[in-house]
Amino acid sequence: MNRKAAWHGLWPWLCAASVALSLLLLGLLLTLLLTRGLGHFWPAPLEAVTLTSGETFAGEVIREAELPDRSGQERLYFIGNRDNSAQDSHGTRFRWVSLDTILKREAPAQLVRLSRSPWGDFIGQLEAFEHSGQRLEDNAAWQALSQALAQPKNARPNARLTLRPLNGEAFIQPLAEVYRASRPNAMSWLSKVRYWADGVGRFLSQGPRAANTGGGVWPAIFGTVVMVIVMSVIVMPFGVLAAIYLNEIAQQHRFTRLVRIGVRNLAGVPSIVYGVFGLGAFVYGIGATVDEWFFSASLPSPTFGTGGLLWASLTLSLLTLPVVIVATEEGLARIPDAQREGAVALGATRLETLTRVVLPMAAPAMLTALILAVARAAGEVAPLMLVGVAKLAPQVPVDATFPYLHLERKFMHLGYHLFDTAFHGDSVQAAIPLVYATALLLVLIVLVLNLTAIFLRHYLRRKRATT
Amino acid sequence: MTNAVTTPAVRFAPEHTSLCIEGLSLAYAGKPALDELTLDIPRHRITAFIGPSGCGKSTLLRALNRLHDLNPDVTRQGRIAFEGEDIHAAHTDVAELRRRIGMVFQAPNPFPMSIYENVAFGLRLQNRLKKRQRDDVIEWALRSAALWDEVKDRLHTSAWQLSGGQQQRLVIARTLAVKPDILLLDEPASALDPISTLKIEELMGDLKHQLTLVLVTHNMQQAARVSDYTAFVDHGRLIEYGTTDDIFTNPRLRRTENYITGRMN
Amino acid sequence: MDITRDVHSQHISRQFNQELEALKTHLMAMGGLVEKQLKEAIIALVEGDSKLAAYVRDNDEEVNALQLQLDNECTRILARRQPAASDLRLVLAVIRATSDLERIGDEASKIARNAITLNESNQAVRGLIEVRHISDHVRHMLRDALTAFARFDTQLAVSVVLEDELVDSEYSSAMRSLVTFMVEDARSLSSVLNVMWILRALERVGDHADNLAEHVVYLVKGMDIRHSDNDQLEQINDANR
Repeated sequence: MNRKAAWHGLWPWLCAASVALSLLLLGLLLTLLLTRGLGHFWPAPLEAVTLTSGETFAGEVIREAELPDRSGQERLYFIGNRDNSAQDSHGTRFRWVSLDTILKREAPAQLVRLSRSPWGDFIGQLEAFEHSGQRLEDNAAWQALSQALAQPKNARPNARLTLRPLNGEAFIQPLAEVYRASRPNAMSWLSKVRYWADGVGRFLSQGPRAANTGGGVWPAIFGTVVMVIVMSVIVMPFGVLAAIYLNEIAQQHRFTRLVRIGVRNLAGVPSIVYGVFGLGAFVYGIGATVDEWFFSASLPSPTFGTGGLLWASLTLSLLTLPVVIVATEEGLARIPDAQREGAVALGATRLETLTRVVLPMAAPAMLTALILAVARAAGEVAPLMLVGVAKLAPQVPVDATFPYLHLERKFMHLGYHLFDTAFHGDSVQAAIPLVYATALLLVLIVLVLNLTAIFLRHYLRRKRATT
Repeated sequence: MTNAVTTPAVRFAPEHTSLCIEGLSLAYAGKPALDELTLDIPRHRITAFIGPSGCGKSTLLRALNRLHDLNPDVTRQGRIAFEGEDIHAAHTDVAELRRRIGMVFQAPNPFPMSIYENVAFGLRLQNRLKKRQRDDVIEWALRSAALWDEVKDRLHTSAWQLSGGQQQRLVIARTLAVKPDILLLDEPASALDPISTLKIEELMGDLKHQLTLVLVTHNMQQAARVSDYTAFVDHGRLIEYGTTDDIFTNPRLRRTENYITGRMN
Repeated sequence: MDITRDVHSQHISRQFNQELEALKTHLMAMGGLVEKQLKEAIIALVEGDSKLAAYVRDNDEEVNALQLQLDNECTRILARRQPAASDLRLVLAVIRATSDLERIGDEASKIARNAITLNESNQAVRGLIEVRHISDHVRHMLRDALTAFARFDTQLAVSVVLEDELVDSEYSSAMRSLVTFMVEDARSLSSVLNVMWILRALERVGDHADNLAEHVVYLVKGMDIRHSDNDQLEQINDANR
């Protein structure tokens, strides 16, 4: 009796608690993605570290951790300068330093950070800026460099920089390989913001560099969006027509019920299964045949016989088809029969009833179907790995040459890019912030696509209720 | 009195028949809904069908403009003649038949469009009027449905913003716009408040000069108020059919009496 | 369709059953009261009982009150229940019957007043035999009409209607003999006139009883026989058999 009473008082709290927990976890996820993803572009202060061994180096503090073999802390620095032969191990860009070996930490204002390609970031001092026989030093050199970088790429002077790492020899760096420079320790808050916005802009608008561990994700965004659009164009007519057949045309007996249950269950099939099917049926089946018939000139190098945008879109269409059918059918079923009968009683044929009354009323449901399909497709990675996504695609699938949309091309995809950056990059430390940024972007794209559809649906509903 | 098969008590033969129903039987997936119904519906009069729920009166109404065609489970025997023509004849244009035999349903079902577009819906299907003519027809239909004065300033706002009674009158206007000969009303006021109900009833009285009305209603007072003839249907059979005055003051059969006075059978 | 006595107690609404039952009970109560008034008026006349006559005269108020009460009940049922068919006919028949009963009550008090006048004149009253004869007849008719109402008995009702014609002819012959009395004896003029008033009242009672019987036929059969001739009445009775 007492326990029962306690349960009666407790259960609403239990429900509320589970909601709170879910919200909390979601909030944590978003906060993590936001801080880590966006924080990556913030110009972090640079430190000049002097070790007890007398060595001095420059770097950005990443994080601290327990020492593996004894008590005490160690700190991870990003030091860049992969081309610096003086560094302990050539090619590393990160360095763990035990705290007790650090003698001195400074933040000199003249430390510069240059983003270059190749060789990645440089952190150290800018000694000189040489241009057409003229040599500028220190502050003058920095100003000249800033002005040069402010101009568009093809208008920049053919200058040479003299750079000196804190722990190595000065060397000559052609300006053409440098695309960005900052002195974070000397930056005002406002210019930091500007620098951050510039960084985000570059991330969104540029292609990847350094084996996907640097640079931007523009081709991946573009590939994702194009793939989703092509998929929508394929899946919507099929899904809507199928839903119309199931709900409006077919007689409702055991077989239709069976089909409906089948469709609903298809939505739960693991996506990799669709990927396997796409590979077997589309790529090796249809694709190979198409190549034989139409592109035999270029064989044995395949045109459609390998993964590509078309096959990926088709596979995802197949994957999202059940969702579209179910959501559309639900919308159709919600339209009262009185509406159909009203139209029929006015002398409308079945087709007229469908096109003039039923489909306009089902438009919000179809949009819901599209939202669900897009959300599912934009986040899907596993099947794409089999049917056409590329680690690095040389060309985006849309360009100015006929036929403008190149369905046979491989393309980049944010989800796969995320996966690739996280696990296949040569440097995990460098990849982590990019992984967060990409994940955030993926969430945002899905969010934007969904919001667009939701607003559209809302607009349609309001239009119907008021105009 | 038993429920055994009895010949229906039919006390009049109309002078001008609009619809002639002969031996009509109807079944939903083998379950009989109408059983050998025979009666004539007089032109330019209001004929009311009363009877308990599920007695088949709505089924009968839907049979009159072949709405049952939409449901493949319905089987039918017997004949319905509209102005002398069998409505199930092979050459019948069903859409045209439904235009001529309009129907208004229990719950107002305006389409999710503007008031104007609702009334224009049937006209657009025929698609033979110029805009100017169409505007005239729409005004005429809305006036006939006694709705014009209430909506003339907002013809292009959504029909869903109207009140229930206005919506039902809009549906009637929509049906009138295609100039039907018969208007079937399936409990047109059952979802409305008393004032709206009275307006609809008043409207029915006005409309009978233009067309034939067939009314199905649960509300016996309504049948008594508006109809000229009343048919009592029970278990898919016509029990009694006569002038409304006769049925409501002195029904011939005990079953009719019991039903209209609220007695147990 | 003929209705039977239990027809008004079969509604799904028990309240409605009770209201209609009350209506019938009250009508019968009023009928009983009117019957008693008539009977006592005749007794007062025949036995020269002025006290009883005065009582009858004053008691007419009660009949009027009952009529108002029944009319109210009928109005309420019409407004609230919107009765149809047999229910509607019952209410209408009761409204009409109360009006006829009230008139009979009026005639009874008229007889009582005339009885008082006759008593006060201290003259030998002629024509009392005719009065007694007709009054027996009329009271019988009234009783039958009320019984027909109570039992929904159209046969009995039709017989009442047919009987009224007998009463009418008896009334004519009685009037003729009274006229003879007046011619024979001019002194008896006023008392004979009084008796003629009484006879006239009794004849009216017969007419009202006839009306009551007609209401019964309307109630049961839904037929209005108020202006029908004998042949039609016979047909009704034939149809009953």
